[in-house]
Amino acid sequence: MGTFHDTRDPLHGITVVATAGDTVYVGRCHARENGRIELHDVDQHSDGDDGKTNAQYLDRAARFGVWPRHEHLVLAADEVTALGPLSEYFRRPGDKPAVPAPAPQPVAAPGASPAAAPDEAVQLTPAAVDEVRRLLASEEKPGQGLRLAVAGGGCSGLVYKVEFDTRQESDIVVPCDGFDVLMDRKSMIYLRGIILDHQQGLGGRGFQFQNPNASNTCGCGESFSV
Amino acid sequence: MPYPEDMVAPMREELTSAGVRELRTTEEVDTFFAENTGTALVLVNSVCGCAAGSARPALKAAIGRRSRPDRVATVFAGQDLEATARARELFGDVPPSSPSMALIKDGELVNFLPRHMIEGRDALSIADDLSAAFAEFC
Repeated sequence: MGTFHDTRDPLHGITVVATAGDTVYVGRCHARENGRIELHDVDQHSDGDDGKTNAQYLDRAARFGVWPRHEHLVLAADEVTALGPLSEYFRRPGDKPAVPAPAPQPVAAPGASPAAAPDEAVQLTPAAVDEVRRLLASEEKPGQGLRLAVAGGGCSGLVYKVEFDTRQESDIVVPCDGFDVLMDRKSMIYLRGIILDHQQGLGGRGFQFQNPNASNTCGCGESFSV
Repeated sequence: MPYPEDMVAPMREELTSAGVRELRTTEEVDTFFAENTGTALVLVNSVCGCAAGSARPALKAAIGRRSRPDRVATVFAGQDLEATARARELFGDVPPSSPSMALIKDGELVNFLPRHMIEGRDALSIADDLSAAFAEFC
């Protein structure tokens, strides 16, 4: 269920901001190749247009999106000085400017060696453990565990699934600090050695998988192939 | 051009099985919006696996929590074209975006989650954002 392409550019399908000169372009990145950046459903803004600075324009764009004026637009890559996800421009009231987060230090779930080889166990970073515990408390579903699974779909052929669920008899269970990590045996083939992290960065908040088995990942972060 | 119905049926069912009301005609949209008191969430569904693949489970998770809108509905962009266009008119001055989620209170849009805040994120994190909006407005 979903899109049906693989080995795409990491930004494929992501709404990006491309800066060229004093103009910013907001659109869904399709591809970067042969010195070209292809965008779909694109709007553009230059400093002063409609009485707004580019920063003011991007602030609204990040909150609501844009009205596309070009169905398809190709930019010369060597004229683009910056390219990144529009979501990184999203600010909530009181948000501070983004500060690069230090590289996460994974910790092994109890039952797995901290130095677990990629084929031995799933690991959660302290940030992921904290977030799971917080979400479990807010879900108010006692006795449920964190189910990690893999299903067909997404840009790169397989997608991760993260949800709260009750333990099934055939599950592989990794006890963690206050909850169980549940995996079905088929998914475990793809999840061995995986590190689950949680990022709080602006626009990039959420669980992230570091998968030593993946040979290709999608820019969305949720899809991969092996 | 719409995708074959066989392909999108599971994407519809993923929501309707969770109690989300599907609006497939302009009349159904108008009827849903005619009740303009209380809170309503409308998910603009999409075939895009990169974003809608997370949006649907996120909505299901969020409406399963304590704080939730009075009514929850969905239109399917690219499939039910007229119903989607009508719903977007009723959202107000918000660019079209799919998938996206609009939270409406007493007939006014109070929170909007556009596609670019869904793509690349896991369902639980999106559900968390929805829950924060529900806690504030519902």
